[in-house]
Amino acid sequence: MDVREGPSDAEVVARVLGGDREAFGLIVRRYESGLLRFATRVLGGRDAAADAVAESLVRAYRHLASCRDPTRLRTWLYRIVANRCKSHLARRATGDVSLDDAPPIADPADNEAALERGEQLAVVEQALATLSPEKREAFVLKHVEGMSYQEMAAVTGERIPTLKMRVHRAREALLKALEERS
Amino acid sequence: MNPIDPRIHRALDGEISREALPPELRRVVERLESAAALLATAPEGGRSVADRVLARLSRHARSPLRRLARWLAAPHPVTLRIRPVWSLALAASLVLLALLPEERSAPVLGEHEGIAQFVARFPGAHSVQVVGSFNDWRTGTIPLEDRDGDGVWRAVVVLPAGAHEYMFVVDDERWVPDYSANRFVEDDFGRENSVLIVRPVKG
Repeated sequence: MDVREGPSDAEVVARVLGGDREAFGLIVRRYESGLLRFATRVLGGRDAAADAVAESLVRAYRHLASCRDPTRLRTWLYRIVANRCKSHLARRATGDVSLDDAPPIADPADNEAALERGEQLAVVEQALATLSPEKREAFVLKHVEGMSYQEMAAVTGERIPTLKMRVHRAREALLKALEERS
Repeated sequence: MNPIDPRIHRALDGEISREALPPELRRVVERLESAAALLATAPEGGRSVADRVLARLSRHARSPLRRLARWLAAPHPVTLRIRPVWSLALAASLVLLALLPEERSAPVLGEHEGIAQFVARFPGAHSVQVVGSFNDWRTGTIPLEDRDGDGVWRAVVVLPAGAHEYMFVVDDERWVPDYSANRFVEDDFGRENSVLIVRPVKG
């Protein structure tokens, strides 16, 4: 079932706040994959990302009443995850991302196309990992999550001109890192 | 880092058509887009986040302490069956308590507790509550009162000594920091929480 079908975010939030705890599962399933992808690309590892997203969703549940505009639940959730990721990166001494817990690029038994795709993804992930956390976040929100600059401003709390400049710098840095690996 | 041609940014931001770009610039756009498309594939492996979250919320809901706290906080009808002679004794005891000096009826504070007074001005508000780290940010536990209807709401509560983050919830929907607080911290939601320092009474 496509979890984007069914009641709107605002309706689900109203149900949860009205005491229907189970309805929060709809929110979790609706946004889990996007939040996990975002956190994985920013943190550079699936396990750390899963921890950050799980912690964020539990916090979101506890603070759901403070979500001022439930129609913008998506950017509110991304904001919580983005802040969790920042805290996680701040705890790391260098801020460098680790690819230690990244999934294996592909099993040799996989078909050739999947193998090649896995290798290409590994190269892009390594290139992305060379960007600063701010640039990485900006590139992922813009080009992976497909957000507008207005939505990015709601997620990051930054001004739109700042975000545009950050995305431009991120594109340049990523291109340079990709060229070095080709 | 070398800046790339501004037309690449404009094409990626949807401000100009990529068909208007010369082939060498179009290749750069396509390279960035294909990198983004690879990153957009779902990460593989790992446990389901949904299962972990829902299991934690379920534990949160089933916690005996939380159930007890919720039961104690909720109103319940109570029926007392009492013999008339005992009711007279009870009435006498209540009269005696009422006649005792006021300081004797003050709450007994623990060694690591203090008194916090919340005062906020919200003219026209129908309800004001305080939520914070001391009540797990739950509404419905510490209401403020405006007995004389002058728009100034107050509550006095006993809290553990230490620093507490808090906000006011006005009319069950507006979350507002206490602008008269001395300290603020930014929370995970991009808001500023007020910070209250409670000093132990028996310090």
